[in-house]
Amino acid sequence: MLANEGFVTDGRSASSNKGMPVVRIVPQTVPCECSVKEDAEAGIGQVMAQILDALASPLTAEEASPKKKESEPLSRIVFKGDLGEFNRFFYKRGWGDGLPLLPPTEEAVREMLTGTDLPSDHVVGKIEPRYGKATVEKIAVNAVMAGALPTYMPILIACVEAVTEQLAQLGAYGTSTGSWTPFWIINGAVRNDVRVNCSSGSMSPGDIANAAIGRAMGLIIKNLGGARKAVEDMGVYGNPGKYSSVIGENEENSPWEPLHVEHGLARDESAVTLFFPNCYSQIWQYGSDDRGILNTFIYNLQPGRGGLSCLIMTPHHAKTLAGKGWTKPMIRKFVSEFGRVVAYRHPSSHQGGGWTIKRPETVPPSGMDTVAIIPNPDLIKILVAGGPGAFLGLACGSGMVGADFVTKKIRLPANWSKLVAKYRNLVPAYEKY
Amino acid sequence: MNTGAQASRGTASHEVLSPWADVDPVPLRGITPRPKDLAGKKIGLFSNGKRAAALTLTAVETRLKEQVPSVETSWYTSTKINTPEILTEGKARFEVWVRGVDAVVLSVAD
Repeated sequence: MLANEGFVTDGRSASSNKGMPVVRIVPQTVPCECSVKEDAEAGIGQVMAQILDALASPLTAEEASPKKKESEPLSRIVFKGDLGEFNRFFYKRGWGDGLPLLPPTEEAVREMLTGTDLPSDHVVGKIEPRYGKATVEKIAVNAVMAGALPTYMPILIACVEAVTEQLAQLGAYGTSTGSWTPFWIINGAVRNDVRVNCSSGSMSPGDIANAAIGRAMGLIIKNLGGARKAVEDMGVYGNPGKYSSVIGENEENSPWEPLHVEHGLARDESAVTLFFPNCYSQIWQYGSDDRGILNTFIYNLQPGRGGLSCLIMTPHHAKTLAGKGWTKPMIRKFVSEFGRVVAYRHPSSHQGGGWTIKRPETVPPSGMDTVAIIPNPDLIKILVAGGPGAFLGLACGSGMVGADFVTKKIRLPANWSKLVAKYRNLVPAYEKY
Repeated sequence: MNTGAQASRGTASHEVLSPWADVDPVPLRGITPRPKDLAGKKIGLFSNGKRAAALTLTAVETRLKEQVPSVETSWYTSTKINTPEILTEGKARFEVWVRGVDAVVLSVAD
């Protein structure tokens, strides 16, 4: 295996997780995503002797028949100590996110488990890259650490179902150099039951549900999936969205059917939808009429994205568009058709841009022709959310083949109304001044 | 906020549960025996489809043929970025290809 020297531990981990811990890896210094032939030749020239050796030297006994590496067995109770000691222990083990954690004691986890009817040993899914088993209990442990309430458990279980679905492509997005972040959209009555903010400042700190659901999922992905920073998670710059990116759709003030209904669920059901953008811009509208709103989107798409994108607009924007006869499918088609760039500015027109596998529809006859930035309108979703104001939101994902938005139904426990009544009184009451 | 789940804090001692997941054991496999020398052998060049892969493997191919003129090469480019080939529609084609080569250089580039 030829790998850039910075990716050797990543390569070793990936092959080990697939049962081949002894693959021969030749580290090389060719720049990442290299597009310069001379650089590739120089980098390979330095390691050609190692490549020849890796191809033709006899196998060692370990290479022919690798032995299982004995790892330290972990008991269910892993530590005993005070709050500070617990936090230091977990931090040193890499089990946190850098912020203080709450201790997942038996009592706290037991209380968290009141949020589901599923047995604690039920495996909801296996999370890449380590394929760790996401049992209901492990989900609850990480939820406690994140400061979640038991009423978030049904949501977290649906989130785990979403993130373990192949279509979500966690294995690629969760470890990619692109620092893609899970972006969670919550629909249905559960939003109001647990007070998911769908209005002003939804994505800002301050709401327990928006903050703790995203934080819990960050810990679940890290601790159950085992993606260690700079070992498996190779995000170049990282992404603050990984702390928490949770938003509810403002269904009550939307003129259109909500996202989960578009995805085949009933309006009275609750759901979570996941995709992996790596940036989120907020753009001042070019005009407050329908053309001004839509032009804001089409002129701010980034060339080369080409894939999953979420257009976020306030109820006021949505009502303006709907009032002029725009439906969600019409908007998707419009943005796909008119969100264009002159071809010479599109990365696929450049030697180092795009991928070896290029999509034929992105290759224009001339560099001066325009090319669609998101050729497939089905990769565009529309979300009505946010508070009053003139800004539009744009969460940009990638054009990774085979990835899509994933929606999962949230299944509530039998005692749901009692649980909601128990925890719903947690409402910030700002001091008057 | 002070729920039952979050009541215990401060200097009290806490017994805490592990947040780390168990994994099902994966059967371990060794790598395939290597040819004693490369003369007359067919070497597979597997590109994961990322942009540096083709460049680095082309450089490998050139130098390989310079150093072992009788060596043959056979290229394979993955069907989908970031997806194991055996999970794609290219699985059957890949399995035929990999059986037809004596050793493979895989470029995962990045």
